[in-house]
Amino acid sequence: MGGLLDYLPGESIIHRLNPLVKLILSFGLCVSCFLSDSIIFVLSVIVINILLSMMARVFARTLLVFLSLIKFSTLLFIIQILCVRQGEILLNLPLGLYITDKGLMFSLLFISRLIAAAMPLSLTLSVTRVVDIANVLVSKLRLPYKYAFALTAAIRFIPLFSSEMAGIMEAQTARGVDFETKNFLKKIRLLLPLCAPLLISSVRKVEGSAISAELRGFNLRGGSSGYKQYPFKAVDYSALCLCAALVVVSVML
Amino acid sequence: MLRLDGVHFSYNTEGQGIQDVSFELKSGEFAAIIGENGAGKSTICRLCNGLLKPSSGTVTVAGFDTSNAKTSRIARDVGFLFQNPDRQLCQSTVREEIMFGMGFAGVSEAEERCSEMLELFGLDGKKEPFGLSRGERQLVALASVLAREPGLMILDEPTTGLDYMECTRIMDHITRLNENGTTVLMVSHDMEVVLDYAHRGLVLSGGRLIGDGSVHDIMRDAALLSKASLLPAQIPALAVAIGGRFIDIDRADDMASIVEAEANALAGDSRGEF
Ligand SMILES: Nc1ncnc2c1ncn2[C@@H]1O[C@H](COP(=O)(O)OP(=O)(O)OP(=O)(O)O)[C@@H](O)[C@H]1O
Ligand SMILES: [Mg+2]
Repeated sequence: MGGLLDYLPGESIIHRLNPLVKLILSFGLCVSCFLSDSIIFVLSVIVINILLSMMARVFARTLLVFLSLIKFSTLLFIIQILCVRQGEILLNLPLGLYITDKGLMFSLLFISRLIAAAMPLSLTLSVTRVVDIANVLVSKLRLPYKYAFALTAAIRFIPLFSSEMAGIMEAQTARGVDFETKNFLKKIRLLLPLCAPLLISSVRKVEGSAISAELRGFNLRGGSSGYKQYPFKAVDYSALCLCAALVVVSVML
Repeated sequence: MLRLDGVHFSYNTEGQGIQDVSFELKSGEFAAIIGENGAGKSTICRLCNGLLKPSSGTVTVAGFDTSNAKTSRIARDVGFLFQNPDRQLCQSTVREEIMFGMGFAGVSEAEERCSEMLELFGLDGKKEPFGLSRGERQLVALASVLAREPGLMILDEPTTGLDYMECTRIMDHITRLNENGTTVLMVSHDMEVVLDYAHRGLVLSGGRLIGDGSVHDIMRDAALLSKASLLPAQIPALAVAIGGRFIDIDRADDMASIVEAEANALAGDSRGEF
């Protein structure tokens, strides 16, 4: 299962940053592209994202994310550009549709913001274990452990569900169900009955891990129970400074 | 019936996968794959019915080359029991569950076969499959495969989680089907079951086939078995251990024949002494 959001192990400087710093950094990157109205700035945020991913040696993944974002945004771009009616008309289209200069700028800015804001999310999850994010939220931000655990569990269950579903479909194929059919309605009809086993096995799994967490003393756990410490280092401080600088620049531009 | 030719396979993640496995099952054979956890037994099973396609080499099953035949078509002639029965169950009653596979295979006397299965396994057809115990769910999944009486059955650990009586009953039924011409390929960790029911053993270790021969011989090859982290079944082990002293005992595969051989030998001894 090659999800776009799961962790890619590595030893790069980006990997070794404090998880909290990585969160703040990605948040900063997102916020700054919404604060700034300059398309040049937003495009440079995309470039920064790509540079960061190269530093973390996860460029291939980022490229994939970037391409799928482009695909999605192209669609949005087309809808956007046809909907904006202010500004000077650049091009007249049939059906009373036209493209304006404002519409063009607005849509370009819109999709580049979207791309620039989505990339840090994928990057952060690619270079940080979800457990580390949860732990640092508990130890540094005093988030109750229960919520942090819910977060990690939820993210961990996504690939689990999808592999479970793949397994169930496999089992039905082995009994002669033909999922390769092109007929969409027929496919839906074949897939619907599979919801029951998926739901049941998932609920069983969730229940199982809840009970096993309970049995291992989950409720006794407090903020200080984590055995892993997340100290801030010099790199972390400098990364934070860079991030702050970026946000300041975004406000000015 | 089933033929693997220099089959290589790897999951895209790291790990050994399957390397250069070749064997052929003739129609009517009863073979068991044995090997350590993670040896690739389930992977081989999936390769055999086209759920996985070999990255090189060919798998031919029931006249189809799995690389270019639809698995759902192969499934009509090849029954498959998964290691995890829950993935297979998807209907709301046990009866519907058992009938399910037969619908695709176009079995005409589905109703009768289903009732036969329910009786054989002592199952209640009106119950909900997911409310059953682990062992009972295994039975339902197995029943739905056996009911179709396919030409080849691939069974991934059919007897795990079953009590002794249930295990014997199922294996006896499989043996009956086998005697009527069904080819059986089974994975099992239970050496006693393998010894009692299978005729041919395929020993798998680290994704490679390291042994292929009659179960009788394989059970006596302690070096081979230990390579695959296996312990021979007790009776052949016992037979090998005491075999040096008594003629014929090395051939024994069940308790009765050991006792008989030993008695014969003792009788011979005593006649000699007195
Ligand atoms: N879906 C999968 N994706 C990636 N790797 C897998 C997958 N399924 C199995 N593997 C790997 O392939 C190897 C062989 O697995 P397989 O399930 O064939 O073992 P097995 O012999 O059936 O073991 P067991 O006795 O535990 O059932 C294992 O190392 C496993 O980690
Ligand atoms: Mg297995």
